[in-house]
Amino acid sequence: MQRTPAGETVITPRNFRLLEELENSEKGHGDMSISFGLVESGDTFLSDWNGGILGPAGTQHDGRFYQLLIHCTQEYPAVPPTIRFTSKINMSCIDSKTGVVEKNKVPAMKNWNRNTGIEKVLQSIRMEMCSDKNRRLKQPAEGATF
Amino acid sequence: MSAGLPRRIIKETQRLVAEPVAGISATPYADNLRYFTVGIEGPEETPYEKGVFQLELFLPADYPMAPPKVRFLTKIYHPNIDKLGRICLDILKDKWSPALQIRTVLLSIQALLSAPNPDDPLDNNVAEVWKNNEEEALKRAREFTKSFATPST
Repeated sequence: MQRTPAGETVITPRNFRLLEELENSEKGHGDMSISFGLVESGDTFLSDWNGGILGPAGTQHDGRFYQLLIHCTQEYPAVPPTIRFTSKINMSCIDSKTGVVEKNKVPAMKNWNRNTGIEKVLQSIRMEMCSDKNRRLKQPAEGATF
Repeated sequence: MSAGLPRRIIKETQRLVAEPVAGISATPYADNLRYFTVGIEGPEETPYEKGVFQLELFLPADYPMAPPKVRFLTKIYHPNIDKLGRICLDILKDKWSPALQIRTVLLSIQALLSAPNPDDPLDNNVAEVWKNNEEEALKRAREFTKSFATPST
């Protein structure tokens, strides 16, 4: 969302917005602590994505690579994506049975706006891994899946 | 809804509706006047003949200093169009000029359907087939047109 000098609010439509996110993601993110890409390279509506988060150092998650699935509905980016971990993980913002990320417990999802995007959500989840609540939580065996 | 929409865009839209280009339709969405649904008929004597291809087009905030964003929503077998419908066309990138318009962009895309350029490919797999076995490439393009671009009447 962008405001022009003439006072017009320009809204990038969903598909073009997701294409931008894809193109930025393909350029890489500095240290690659988070990553994401389409599940199917020909997914015209850019709905289903694979994501990865590298566990932050100094936490129980250090050295682990967590995989997750991201789903963007037709309402995106008016609403945040749905995220489900496929790698088993023990975290206060993740349903322990399904791996689904609880939107009201991740700051970037709770305070979602049209400009937030997938990248910021994954970074926000990674930040949660460092929180006092989560950093020392005992974790399931590495490589286990939901 | 259209508060502050540049006069240039209003003019272009009016002309697209009043004097449509043969074989091309472009209609803005009521809730976003910078966002258009586009239909392009496959040119005659090409493997896209009889197909109607749906595209989407968006005029970013810096249009016309920056080019429109446009891509195919209908699957198409073409060396300069990738699996996500993105189009390799110079005027959508470095050859863009503010003197060009939505109309000229859509005409160029229609022309690209008549003149695929496998030497400047966006989809390498398609381009390889196009260069090594044009007959097979044309056959696949016709099959795609039949499967994905044929209007249900």
